[in-house]
Amino acid sequence: MLLQLKNVFKWVNSGGQRVFLLKDINLTVEEGEFISVMGPSGSGKSTLLNVIGMLDSFDEGEYRFLDEPVHTLKEKHRANLYKQYIGFVFQSYHLLDDLTVQENLEMPLLYKKVGSSERKSLVADTLDRFNIVGKKDLFPAQLSGGQQQLVGVARALISSPKLVLADEPTGNLNSKQGEEIMELFKQLNNEGVTIIQVTHSEKNATYGSRIINLLDGRKI
Amino acid sequence: MLKNYLKIAWRSIKGGKLFAFIKIGGFAMGIAGCLLIALFIKNELGYDDHYQNKNRIYRVVMQGIMNGEQLKSVHFQRLFAETLQSTYPEIEKAGKINTSELFGAGRRALRVKGTTQNNFDEGFIYADQQVFEILELDLLEGSPENVLTNPGSIVMTSSKASKYFPDGNAVGQTVFLDDDTSKPYTVTGIIKENKEEKSHLDFGYLMALEDKNTSWTTTNYFTYVLVDGNTDIPALEKKMHLMLDQYFIPALTERGMGTDFMKVLKTLEYKLQPIMDIHLKSDIKMGDRLKHGDIGFVWLFAAIAGIVLLMAVINFVNLSTAKSANRAKEVGLRKTIGAYKGNLVGQFLTESIVFSLISFVIGVLLTWILLPTFNSIAGQDITIPWSQWWFLPTLLIAGLLVGMLAGLYPALYLSAFKPVNVLKGNLSIGAKSGKLRSSLVVFQFTTSVVLIIGTLIITKQMNFILDKKLGFDKEQVLMVQGTNLINNNIHTFKDRLLELPAIKSVSVSDYLPVDGTKRNGNTFRKAEGGNQELSVPAQIWKVDYDYINTLGLKVIKGREFSKEYTSDSSAIIINTAMAKELGFEDPLGKRINNGEEWTIVGVLDDFHFKSLKEDIAPLSLVIGNSSGIVSIKLNNGGSAGALKDIENIWQEYVTNQAFQYTFLDQEFAQMHDDVKRAGDIFNSFALFALFIACLGLFALSAFMVEQRKKEISIRLVLGAPFESIYKLLTLDFLKLIFLAILIAIPIGWYMMNRWLEDFAYKINVGWEVFCVAGGIALIIAVATISYQSIAAALIKPLKSLRTE
Repeated sequence: MLLQLKNVFKWVNSGGQRVFLLKDINLTVEEGEFISVMGPSGSGKSTLLNVIGMLDSFDEGEYRFLDEPVHTLKEKHRANLYKQYIGFVFQSYHLLDDLTVQENLEMPLLYKKVGSSERKSLVADTLDRFNIVGKKDLFPAQLSGGQQQLVGVARALISSPKLVLADEPTGNLNSKQGEEIMELFKQLNNEGVTIIQVTHSEKNATYGSRIINLLDGRKI
Repeated sequence: MLKNYLKIAWRSIKGGKLFAFIKIGGFAMGIAGCLLIALFIKNELGYDDHYQNKNRIYRVVMQGIMNGEQLKSVHFQRLFAETLQSTYPEIEKAGKINTSELFGAGRRALRVKGTTQNNFDEGFIYADQQVFEILELDLLEGSPENVLTNPGSIVMTSSKASKYFPDGNAVGQTVFLDDDTSKPYTVTGIIKENKEEKSHLDFGYLMALEDKNTSWTTTNYFTYVLVDGNTDIPALEKKMHLMLDQYFIPALTERGMGTDFMKVLKTLEYKLQPIMDIHLKSDIKMGDRLKHGDIGFVWLFAAIAGIVLLMAVINFVNLSTAKSANRAKEVGLRKTIGAYKGNLVGQFLTESIVFSLISFVIGVLLTWILLPTFNSIAGQDITIPWSQWWFLPTLLIAGLLVGMLAGLYPALYLSAFKPVNVLKGNLSIGAKSGKLRSSLVVFQFTTSVVLIIGTLIITKQMNFILDKKLGFDKEQVLMVQGTNLINNNIHTFKDRLLELPAIKSVSVSDYLPVDGTKRNGNTFRKAEGGNQELSVPAQIWKVDYDYINTLGLKVIKGREFSKEYTSDSSAIIINTAMAKELGFEDPLGKRINNGEEWTIVGVLDDFHFKSLKEDIAPLSLVIGNSSGIVSIKLNNGGSAGALKDIENIWQEYVTNQAFQYTFLDQEFAQMHDDVKRAGDIFNSFALFALFIACLGLFALSAFMVEQRKKEISIRLVLGAPFESIYKLLTLDFLKLIFLAILIAIPIGWYMMNRWLEDFAYKINVGWEVFCVAGGIALIIAVATISYQSIAAALIKPLKSLRTE
């Protein structure tokens, strides 16, 4: 078991009323799963992903990640945990504009204090694996959307996470580019990486091994 | 990691060119301003810092109370120094100098024996051998043991020596002063000069003292002492009271001073002024007539320097946090890919240090460019100490420190963003840090307005001084210097001048109501009637019959001097202040005594003969010959041609010295140079501060507009007219500027009233000064903001909406 959510609630107070963003979510994710989270706008997909990614907190319930009780951990421990095991991919790529492709890839390793030579070889491997060696000195603005997302995925994977969280990774891409990215996810999943993606697209959802439907913060 | 930080810092400079320019430009200007002032302060504090025995050298000061006011003097008897030295074993050496024009110090004409040319020069001082040793003067040539012991010895500085003896060999040569061949001087030494070593005593020549005066009632000498290292100074000051009891008071009693004056004597005491305090901490009441600095001025400058730097730092902080919207995304991202807060703080600090160091380099260059201008404004001779070992390291450390300080808040602020908020895109940065940024803008403009108020008030006071009815007419009066060379022909010279149609009147006297001319203080008592015990210290000036007319003085009682009265050789004309001090209801015909007896024939309206910082003191005029300066009153509009004519006549009388003249009004203005300087300096720094503040405001308004672009576009689409958008963007800032003006007014009012307290004659500070100062700040601020607001109100709405 990779992670487990038990009776997780998240709410905000608006005008004296409690508005639930997540309501009584129970979810167990095993290693090697490829899960698609679906649902209409505002149903809590991204919130759920952020909670799983430990970027966001929740108000009630339990969350265990690799048997660590996330809900009792201090902020710093929690950050350490996700930095070590989780990679993020975003709809709008979120590459660092000031850095080249190569430098974007290198950044997580720098923060992890990976040694210079190991860093170099890891970056070289990744560039090679994702077939973007020729683009390594370009800045994000010089790449197409699909290429940027490719770099985004590459960056999420470079520090070998156990879990990749992707929030509508193909939302800004055309269908061909989207397909390529989904193929890539599939392939990664086959290599043993656990993936949770948020998507609107039925077709993309089928790449996954399991679909979770959300409505108004509730799992249906 | 550091390499990575540096790379990002560099790209961030390259990326946001306008912001980087404003950040670095403003910072560099702040640094330049601060550095200029720091150099100035260092220079001011460096006076008399170079003596090996600097902590053991003192100047003697006497102080007491007279009519409820403090009295201070640095003038002592000729015997005072040597008596001190022989009486107190802790005084290792005591020496004296005489700087009085009355004795021939100050400006003289110098001629080298064997040449014909007289050269008008200044910086002549009488000094004895002990002073030469106390001040640790170094000789290039000559023997230091007895360089000033023999009468007729003269020592000159190396720059003076090379002027008159370009081939060297000055020592042993003979020179004449004021063409007096009966009193030759022999050059006995050349003093080594060092530009780094500044002294309160600025001289070119030291002449050996030959005065044989043994009186304990005449005081003409500054007295310096070198004390033993273990001396208890307050105890010594107390012990020195013996000098009063044993010598000064008995002598005065014997001469017969009034009992009122004897009361003053009881309050007298001696103080020892450390030599390093003389330049900055001398009181104008001491009357040493040296060019001094002012410790208050130094403090004020230090405060301005601090504020200018603070403003620059504030800009930096302001712009950094303002840019945070753009950086927030980056921060959030970096955190999700594994950055710790420490990493981000390090990154932002590195960036700010890089900015700071670049700014320092530019700031130092700017200082180098501005230094000549600053020197001329501040009347200084400051150089950048490039070659000093501490200079560049100090700058480097300062750059690092300032960079860290300025970067700390933005770094902590930016690195605290929560990634989830940023990535969700619902971060409202403007609102959160708005208050801080607003108060920083208020601070900057408050400072600017205070400086503008200062500038306006100082300028007003200076104009007041220059336009004030002084009691004498300073316009169109030419002062011809060095006329003592004409000797006995002075009367025919005067007659020849009067033949010129452009000349209204001519007077021969070197007592004039401007600095650098002769002064002679004396004590007067009534010779008959009234309270004869009353002693009045007063100036007594030797003038000729045309003096009152030439200077446009007004006789309000009695008459002027006249050749028709043969008794006028013992006639005296006093000013109103003196009549009042003496307590005469009707002074005319009364006799007064200062050792000689005089009959009062007239009373003058008071006129200013000292700086306007001081009250008009008692003064009297008597007929006498004192021919160093000839004052020429010209008819209106005739000066250009007249100058040539006067020079021609001069050359008939004096063949071997160039014609030297100044105008009385210029000399008067120069007397108040310090006020003008203060005004100029305030002016420059007010501009500096305002510029930095505007730079910040400009960038900030640019940022605000950028932030609200979407809002503006929506408003425009909904049909908002141009004015409403303009108002929307401008009003918020204007409120801040108004607040700043409100805060600045009381501060400026208080500060400038304190400054004006120094003047006995001063302007009233009216409300219009504050209106003008506020108006200036407001106009400049509106102009600055408008550039952005107008641009914003003219944007094409679709463009910015489509990019969303």
